[in-house]
Amino acid sequence: MGENGHGHPHEEPKQERSPWAARIRAVEELLAEKGLLTHGEVEAQVRYMEARSYENGARLVARAWTDPGFKALLLEDTKAACSELGIDASGSVEFVTVENTPEVHNLIVCTLCSCYPRAILGRPPDWYKSPAYRSRAVAEPRAVMREFGLEIPADLPVAVHDSSADVRYLVLPMRPRGTQGMSEEELAELVTRDCLIGTAVPREPARV
Amino acid sequence: MSGVHDMGGRREEFGPVDKSQHELEDWERIADAVNYVLNAKGHKTTDEMRRAIEGLEAYREMSYYERWAAAAEKLVVEKGLLTQGEIDERAAALEKRWSGG
Repeated sequence: MGENGHGHPHEEPKQERSPWAARIRAVEELLAEKGLLTHGEVEAQVRYMEARSYENGARLVARAWTDPGFKALLLEDTKAACSELGIDASGSVEFVTVENTPEVHNLIVCTLCSCYPRAILGRPPDWYKSPAYRSRAVAEPRAVMREFGLEIPADLPVAVHDSSADVRYLVLPMRPRGTQGMSEEELAELVTRDCLIGTAVPREPARV
Repeated sequence: MSGVHDMGGRREEFGPVDKSQHELEDWERIADAVNYVLNAKGHKTTDEMRRAIEGLEAYREMSYYERWAAAAEKLVVEKGLLTQGEIDERAAALEKRWSGG
């Protein structure tokens, strides 16, 4: 940004710029001129989304692994559990946690669009929005997970949750073996974004 | 018959999942934020947005945030907040400015 010295990063043309780049800026400018929104509100929302990350979900998981009372709250009322960790959940619609157990593995998709707990975890990865993932996750979830390097045993049932505009999901993975004595922070580091969608599971820490 | 957006189980979409990630451009962040702010201020709803996105003729040819930008534009015009003419005019002026004109 600002590499040509004009100091207006939003106005620098880019080679890959879509025709929609000018159109959405035109819409924003005109809405601001008519007092329907302000640039400040738009900028604040951009910053808010940049600050959202799957790490919020990893913190929820690590606390649930170490505190049974918190785990019960997370499964009962995920937004209340967010609040307890100081994670702002005010922007999220209904938010539900589904638990992986030795009896079931959970996978999240949004077949209709891209519904995802964005307000908590940030934007979904591009593949989550792809036609291939959306069409296949409900039809052949095991084959999809295999592409992500996750082989689900044939005798372990898979539950696929189709998100909607009104309900978003978070997977609570199982705590891996060999993690006794690890701190909550260390445990959170085992939880990747894909673990919270169900296309991965937390890995046992490497033995030293 | 299901709409273009209704992908669940649709065999013609089957294929390897492309796991590459593109870096968001500034205009995409703005499209995202403008939508959120319009919802938060009660100018439109998530369901209206979905209906607008699902009704886009070029749905399959558009990138994700192109759909958002197009749907937001459609809705603000539909609701009488802005006119198509003023958006076209302003967008043309911005393009001209960016191209150094």
